[in-house]
Amino acid sequence: MPQIDVDALSKHYRVHEKEPGLAGSLRSFVSRKYKLVKAVDGISFAINAGEMVGFLGPNGAGKTTTLKILGGLLYPTAGSARVLGFTPHNRESGYLRQFTLVMGQKQQLLWDLPALETFLVNKAIYEISTANFDARLKELDALLDLAPVIKKQVRKLSLGERMKCELAAALLHQPKVLFLDEPTIGLDVTMQAHIRDFVSAYNKQHGATVILTSHYMADVTALCERIIVIDSGHVLYDGNFRALIERVAPYKIIKLQFAGQVTAAQLVGFGTVAASDGVTAVLHVPRIDATNVAARLLTQLQVNDITFEEPPVEDIIREVFAGNMPSLSLKL
Amino acid sequence: MIKKYAALIRANWALTSEYRAEIVLWMMGGLWVVVMMLVWIGVADGRSINGYAAADYVSYYMVTLFVRNMTAVWSSYELDYQIRQGQLSPKLLRPIHPLHWEISFNLSEKVLRAIIVIPIVVVVLAVLSHAPLDMRPLAVVAFLISLMLAWLITFFSDYAIGILAFWTSQSTAFVQVFDGIRSVLSGVLAPIAMFPDALQAVLAWLPFRYMISFSVEILTGKLRPEQIVQGFAIQSAWALVMVLLVKVMWRRAMKSYSAVGT
Repeated sequence: MPQIDVDALSKHYRVHEKEPGLAGSLRSFVSRKYKLVKAVDGISFAINAGEMVGFLGPNGAGKTTTLKILGGLLYPTAGSARVLGFTPHNRESGYLRQFTLVMGQKQQLLWDLPALETFLVNKAIYEISTANFDARLKELDALLDLAPVIKKQVRKLSLGERMKCELAAALLHQPKVLFLDEPTIGLDVTMQAHIRDFVSAYNKQHGATVILTSHYMADVTALCERIIVIDSGHVLYDGNFRALIERVAPYKIIKLQFAGQVTAAQLVGFGTVAASDGVTAVLHVPRIDATNVAARLLTQLQVNDITFEEPPVEDIIREVFAGNMPSLSLKL
Repeated sequence: MIKKYAALIRANWALTSEYRAEIVLWMMGGLWVVVMMLVWIGVADGRSINGYAAADYVSYYMVTLFVRNMTAVWSSYELDYQIRQGQLSPKLLRPIHPLHWEISFNLSEKVLRAIIVIPIVVVVLAVLSHAPLDMRPLAVVAFLISLMLAWLITFFSDYAIGILAFWTSQSTAFVQVFDGIRSVLSGVLAPIAMFPDALQAVLAWLPFRYMISFSVEILTGKLRPEQIVQGFAIQSAWALVMVLLVKVMWRRAMKSYSAVGT
């Protein structure tokens, strides 16, 4: 049985619309206009224990709403969600003890106190024994280098330091399921990589199930074999990340540098010419043909240098969001 | 649960010390009670009105000052803030009711208030040694029990109004209206004994008197034993009503909560 089981889940909101200005205020005071927003509209997926899955989708796609339903913060309008055998919105203490939801833009740390105070509160709330607490804090310290920061007031920490403490506070009770909503938002590249390594290490050490949303494609490429692409409340794709890339971008990029002049016309037979200036050229070549084409290029033309590249993931995802994915209905 | 409370109070005591200046300022805002004392002494002008002479006003308002500080709450403001800022979500994710955070903060803050207000009350009452107080052990015990019940009514009625923030962005306006009514009807503006008999009869059944005045009346020796017993019955009933109200409202609020923010 999957650990996370989501079936035809929907969340619709009635949002109050107000026109700008005083007249608008008065009008909305007398008769309120409402608009129905389908934040999540019939999505289904199942995730097994120990999997790391990336949620991708533009802003407002329904990623956070889905995570909030799974975290028990929202009642679904229709459909069902089961995590670890629990129905999240019942918010049973047996469930609350076993997962964590980290929201990059929300925090659980007590703002005016050192992070250690929050840790101690969580120790009591989650009923963690002192021996376990010390051991886990040591483990988290080894992964996140917490020692220099946990005795400083949270409000005096940098964003990156705070995020490290947030993660530590969220993981002290050793949850089996992690929902990470934009855990690296606003962090610099080094800190992003740091957090990423940490999530990966935690997943390996504890066999934890992870759902991750991030605007930084690097987070998802580094951590998740499987992705679920969501847009406008629907699942566009659910499956292997590499397979998606191969399907949306079934080509490799070959970059060439020539010894002499080679015109674009001479290159047409090899593949799609993306760029050509006589001395260098960029070709898009079908994946399966890439090696053959390369061999032909090397024998038929005066090539000084040749490199193979994967199409940038950002571009691929942009294509998917734009609706340019072939056979979308065919889920892998 | 005791361990959890110990940890929560520990952290909240650290917060209380962090905000001590703010809390002292709020306490000073509550000093208008002393002004009311002076006003009533002036009005009485050496005579006694409905059993209250100058010395009675001193003990009445000094005890009122203490009771008000020991039952002060603003959880509704905190709840409103957390709901609107989406900061309630992280609390809802943890296996402890957010109410316990507010209770433990309130209790921690009471310690600071007691440290400040008790010396003031004791000194004033000692200097004006003729101010009447009923300090027999039984009366003191009755006073302390009534104080606890008064805290329950005050805290939970405030929290109930705070829960309205799940449905309206105007919950703090309700709190202010409620506070205004409470200031008058709980016996702070004037001892309830000053009110017309008909109003006094009604107030005996409403919760307001049991938030302040009832405890004050016990310690200032204004009540006969059977009145105290009857008062306890009504006070306990209101405390129970407020606790149940919060329970019911909270359940409904959770159903409609839509976790504001991204």
